[in-house]
Amino acid sequence: MRYLRLLFEFLRIGVMSELAYRANFFVQLFVSLLELGTALGGLTIVFAHTDTLGGWQPDEVLALVGIYFLVGGVIRLLIQPSMERLIESVREGTLDFTLTKPEDAQLLISIQRVEIWSLTDILLGFGVLAVALTRLGASVRAWQAAAFAVALLAGVVIVYSFWLILATLSFWFVRVENILVIFQSMYEAGRWPVSLYPAWLRFALTFLVPIAFATTVPAQALAGRLTWQLLLGAVALAIALLVVSRLFWRAGIQRYSGASA
Amino acid sequence: MKGLVDIYVQQFKTTLASQLQYRAALFIWLIGHILEPLVFLVVWSAVSRSNGGSVGGFSTGEFAAYFIVLMIVNHLTFTWIMFEYEYRVRQGTLSFALLLPIHPIHSDIADNVSYKLITVPAMLLVAALLGVAFHPTFRIVPWAVAAFIPALIMAFLVRFLVEWTLAQTAFWTTRVNAANQVYFVLALFLSGQIAPLSLLPAPIQVAAVILPFRWMIGFPVELLLGRLTPVQALTGLAAQAAWLAISLILLRIVWRAGVRVYSAVGA
Amino acid sequence: MPHIPQGYIWEVATLPAIHIHDLRKTYVVSEREAGARAALKSLLHRRTQEVPAVDGISFDLAAGEIVGFLGPNGAGKTTTLKMLSGLLHPTAGELAVLGRVPWKREKAFLRQITLVMGQRNQLVWDIPPADSFELNRAIYRIPAADYRHTLEELTGLLELGPLLRKPVRNLSLGERMKCEIAAALLHRPQVVFLDEPTIGLDVTMQRRIRSFIADYNRRYGATVLLTSHYMADVEALCRRVIVIHHGRLLFDGELSGLVRRFTAHKTIVVQLEDCEADLRDYGEVISCTDGRAILRVPKAETARVTERLLADLPVMDLTVEDPPIEEVIEQVFAQEVT
Repeated sequence: MRYLRLLFEFLRIGVMSELAYRANFFVQLFVSLLELGTALGGLTIVFAHTDTLGGWQPDEVLALVGIYFLVGGVIRLLIQPSMERLIESVREGTLDFTLTKPEDAQLLISIQRVEIWSLTDILLGFGVLAVALTRLGASVRAWQAAAFAVALLAGVVIVYSFWLILATLSFWFVRVENILVIFQSMYEAGRWPVSLYPAWLRFALTFLVPIAFATTVPAQALAGRLTWQLLLGAVALAIALLVVSRLFWRAGIQRYSGASA
Repeated sequence: MKGLVDIYVQQFKTTLASQLQYRAALFIWLIGHILEPLVFLVVWSAVSRSNGGSVGGFSTGEFAAYFIVLMIVNHLTFTWIMFEYEYRVRQGTLSFALLLPIHPIHSDIADNVSYKLITVPAMLLVAALLGVAFHPTFRIVPWAVAAFIPALIMAFLVRFLVEWTLAQTAFWTTRVNAANQVYFVLALFLSGQIAPLSLLPAPIQVAAVILPFRWMIGFPVELLLGRLTPVQALTGLAAQAAWLAISLILLRIVWRAGVRVYSAVGA
Repeated sequence: MPHIPQGYIWEVATLPAIHIHDLRKTYVVSEREAGARAALKSLLHRRTQEVPAVDGISFDLAAGEIVGFLGPNGAGKTTTLKMLSGLLHPTAGELAVLGRVPWKREKAFLRQITLVMGQRNQLVWDIPPADSFELNRAIYRIPAADYRHTLEELTGLLELGPLLRKPVRNLSLGERMKCEIAAALLHRPQVVFLDEPTIGLDVTMQRRIRSFIADYNRRYGATVLLTSHYMADVEALCRRVIVIHHGRLLFDGELSGLVRRFTAHKTIVVQLEDCEADLRDYGEVISCTDGRAILRVPKAETARVTERLLADLPVMDLTVEDPPIEEVIEQVFAQEVT
């Protein structure tokens, strides 16, 4: 399909851009390992002082960490660099080039930059997830795996739409790259089960900044704790946010090109 | 000296004016600074509650107090200079700073402090709200509160100088994000942001003491909470002073070397 | 035989590539005074002002024309170009490029135009231009054979050979500009918008790019609208110029007509033996070196002054010239003309 072809082209360029800085691979691997070490270290320290955390077993939290890295890797691979580039290009005026191309601008800006070495995060995430699953004792049945896949996909779509909405704000406000910092710092909260947090924070992490859907919900699916209502809700939210982000994008372009509402 | 003061005043004015231009962005950074300690506050409160109300010498209320104070101290001492430098070298705008007859660090300090002047009221408000939500337990020890002021100032200076010096790595590599990451990860662990340092395994505690991280954040926090003996407080202040000296020396060396190496990336 | 009105045939045959009528664009700008107090005040209340960037302009470009769009900074050239390429919505007026409305940004429309902006890059920074070209190929869906053919031609015309494999960040400004132009033309657009393409380039490179544009226009019959504040660009390329200032058109016609209309003076260059004679009686003396004197005289006086010079002095050579076009343009901009 066309979009895959375009995505492939951008991936190719992303790889080539990075190959110019080969050292980055090893540095990125080192950094990812360091971050993983921090997460695991944090886990170890916490579970050195307790047996369960808000009803979650250590290995379930480990699985959560794996998902956290996996989804985080996807964000850092494609979503974050592309959205950061969007904000830059609005400021520099190079968005004009994208807008004169005969391809849907939203598609173009969504895949325009690839931080290829973030693949390490994705691989590490898979690794941790695999370890956690084996330790959980292979109690993962087919439907749990399926629910996990759906929840994961919905989570990624939700995160993408959310980032797009944030990045689109750069059409109205100037120093918006700081806004992306919200997500990055709030995403950290996704390393721990959202059920730990007081109700108001849980609400914020689910509906204001949809982190819970990216990490905790897929983890719950894997641990067999996901109700089908919640899964359905996640899918519905994913579709809704996709639509809203599209509308936001359109409104942003209208404003950028000075169209009166 | 008067000249330098003048420069700072002027720099404050211009930075203040330009900061206020970008109203929305200013307060967004705060969210990150609030959320991180909040997450660990929640996690450790949960741990403490499921273990009879106290863990490692901290009660649930004391955990809350620790992380709320940590939030304020971290915000007051933080810098963003490492990101800024990578940008500057990449864009070649560092050249302008190098042409001025004052050391660029002054405008960076002014930039940093003027930002905090604007955001501190909000942060204090948030701290008050968190206080209401999480019922922290505070122990007021008068001499400790008095000692907190110089400790805080030195913590800020040490942190700023260390991070400013590290920011100079932008001279040697065009992609400094990786180097920054190493630093931030270490800082997270070793400055007491993940957990009060006394809860960490011994080797990590030792590392935290040898490296400057504890003196940047953890130490002033523990001091204000009244958890340190006078001897510990004095040793801490001495350690801060030592790191201040070390970082000044390092800064000089690295800065000189960096300027020599400097070649603009991107005309 | 059905009766076809004459006017209809004429219109169809000469459908303009670019059609603008009474085009307007007004910006709303927030303004603020200097000082800390004003900064605080602006937190609560923003004062705005309406700025007309384009204030009712009209012109038509036929297919294949190269037209120069001249004006000082802030005159409205870039704004007009952005409206023509679909980047900006006009506030009012008619606008059509290749028969379509640009701001609708239809894909078929976008495939037929291109925009080149001086000092702004669409090429990806860290990789060779060749790879960015491939990306454009995918985006514009250029068939493989056409792509190879066009790339070969552009490489030849612009002398891109050794540049294609070097990362863009290692190219000089001029080399980068050539590659940017090539990237913009890979899909053989029918309408080419060039926004200050030679700005910041050295004289040799400017000349090369100008000759390329002229060449390209000759070969492919593309319509070219070129904005510049360099007179040399326009002199070299365009028979027709449109002059814009403060958002309004000051002139639309042939370059020679511009000179004729806006100058009140002519320049007389007289070659004498030396500079001893006092020439102030004949006109304004601009300079005199080694007997070569340059005088500026009012247009109406030209013939009379020439007669007198020839009669009174041992003239070895005499020419009557128009003042340099830069001067003309300066005068044009200096006037507050409607």
